Amino acid sequence: MNSTLIIQSLISGVMMGSVYALLGVGFSLTWGVMKVINVAHATFGLLAAFFAYTALQAYGVDPLISLVVSAPLLFLIGCTLYHLLIVRITSAKAVIVSSMILTFGIAIILENLMLLLWGADPRLFTTSYTSKVIIIGPFYFQYPPVIGFLMSIVGVTLLHLFLKKTYLGKAVRAAWQQPDASQLCGINLKRISAITFGLAVSTAGAGGLGMGLLYSFEPHSHNLWLIHLFLVVIVGGVGNVLGTALAGVIVGVITGLSMAFLPYQWVNLLTFGLLMVILVVRPQGLFQSEI
Amino acid sequence: MNSSLTVTKTATFLFVGLVIMVLSFYVNSAIAAQPIVIGGSLPLTGEFAETGKLIEKGMKFWAQEINEKGGLLGRPVEFKIYDDESNVGKAVTYAEKAITVDKVDLLFGGYPGTAARAVMPVAEKHKFVYVSMGGHMKSFEQGYTYSFGAPPLMGEWWYEGFFQWMETVPADQRPKKAAVYTMNNPVGASLTGSIQKWTKKLGIEIAIDEKYNLPLPDATPLIMKAKQLQCDMLFANGFFGDGVMMIRAAKALDYNPKAILQGIGSVVPAWIKELGKDGDYVFSGTSLFNKLNFPGNDKLNEYSKKEFKIDGYPLYFGFGYAWMQALAQGVEGSKSLDQTKIRDWLKSNKIQTIAGSMTFDDKGLPEPINFCTQIINGQVELVWPLNVQTAKPVYPKPAWK
Repeated sequence: MNSTLIIQSLISGVMMGSVYALLGVGFSLTWGVMKVINVAHATFGLLAAFFAYTALQAYGVDPLISLVVSAPLLFLIGCTLYHLLIVRITSAKAVIVSSMILTFGIAIILENLMLLLWGADPRLFTTSYTSKVIIIGPFYFQYPPVIGFLMSIVGVTLLHLFLKKTYLGKAVRAAWQQPDASQLCGINLKRISAITFGLAVSTAGAGGLGMGLLYSFEPHSHNLWLIHLFLVVIVGGVGNVLGTALAGVIVGVITGLSMAFLPYQWVNLLTFGLLMVILVVRPQGLFQSEI
Repeated sequence: MNSSLTVTKTATFLFVGLVIMVLSFYVNSAIAAQPIVIGGSLPLTGEFAETGKLIEKGMKFWAQEINEKGGLLGRPVEFKIYDDESNVGKAVTYAEKAITVDKVDLLFGGYPGTAARAVMPVAEKHKFVYVSMGGHMKSFEQGYTYSFGAPPLMGEWWYEGFFQWMETVPADQRPKKAAVYTMNNPVGASLTGSIQKWTKKLGIEIAIDEKYNLPLPDATPLIMKAKQLQCDMLFANGFFGDGVMMIRAAKALDYNPKAILQGIGSVVPAWIKELGKDGDYVFSGTSLFNKLNFPGNDKLNEYSKKEFKIDGYPLYFGFGYAWMQALAQGVEGSKSLDQTKIRDWLKSNKIQTIAGSMTFDDKGLPEPINFCTQIINGQVELVWPLNVQTAKPVYPKPAWK
């Protein structure tokens, strides 16, 4: 086993994992803050990818630029969905199960909508830079994973700063940590929850775009993406934005290293075996559950 | 008295005979006018809907054509098509239902291979002829006698044409080392047998032979390994998603083998549409193609141009049509709807389809089909065998631009 292959595999793994992280932070947020497991989270990401694909094909708009439109649009969709549907189940006894059933329905509707609009054919982002590569010594950095990695750093940092430094972000955290006390302090729980949900759906858009840069996608792809979401969120700790981001990188590193050291058919077994071990040993995730 | 009785008796007999004749004429006419119902299921919604709908269109084009010519055995044909929602279990249920509840006259072939493979034992149990793509060689090795692949989609034959052509390339110009990456599933497994056999025969060393589970997280390490070991032949035995990742990684790492073979993913139209120039020069195989010079293909291409506004009919539109062609010849050849007679006729006669003429062996398979394709300038071309060649193969593959 030579060092070039190991390091290259590691680089690829980190970049791939960071995109999983970007897709996962919003999922972690709604799960942690609202106890809502949004099974449709990856579907919103896929919707953003299809939106970007159409903008690219029809108008030559770069997928990254399309995010300027799709992210706010998804935020609005998220807020509206919260007010129309999600709010009705937040007072249910079993919010988690109810939310899974409800959002599963939303995912099915969205998937069929995408099938109707874009058909079942697989799609790829093909831009001027998708085939480009940065070569540093013996190592190759393909543009799409590099862009996905940078998007992830920017996205996760912004979300982290929003939650830690802004009044609204602090209100989100307060609403999660002390719902009753935060209401006594004048925090409108419904409004905060709607913003949280909108924000999460919006980050799904960025994550979906990142996934679209790495992989081909079709209307069913969200099912696969959802598996990665559960993986990074459970490893990172539910509701922990930075934990989820770190978990993405850890998953990427493990995947990358196992690709270098093991036969390829062992890679998924090892990655998901890790999930099982963490569920048994540290069910709250590797990092403290705190947003 | 006697003679008058005889006359009366004779008249009565004549009258009864006439009534029977008239009645039987009407009954026969009524039966003749009754349509032949061909039943089964296709994935019209769900994961394989796009392909399922193409097969349905191909079958319906065949029905329209045959009905315009007076039908099958003089009777019109009609379909009873269930939507199995891309679910293998439902495909089996609907096949049972079509045979036992709807009492259809004939069964049509389903999709994908997993569904066809599961319906084959149902067809065998009820002694119904089942013409489909099958589910690779294993499905035809179960001892079924009523199943036919006309044409089948066989991973085991996928690279036959390529290797037959490679055998004509001077030994010193052939690749020396191959990297074989195969998805870890029955489709991938069906591709590897011929690679082992032929590389040994042609003196090509297999330097890497690895399987990966889907979804493939990243292709970069695979390609890097192939490049480091100087493999000048790459087998990317995967579906579209992983196939594309291999190609993009090969380009990014400037890995330039003499030949790239992509088993399954490159046959979907999205390969050319989405990859553009990067998808060029990839070799693959097929058992049916719209550029084949066999009778019927022109007609289907014309129809496709009119109906779908595309040059060359879609592959699965052709499959739907070809399977019905085979079944119809069995019915017309045996002049019967008796399934065993249809089966026996098909087993002992040559049929003509848009995939060429074929006879069937005990397994219900024709002679191995060895069409080799290569994508050249954004077009899928037939490069082997010579009698169907539409373009000369581009070899060695030009370096990435």
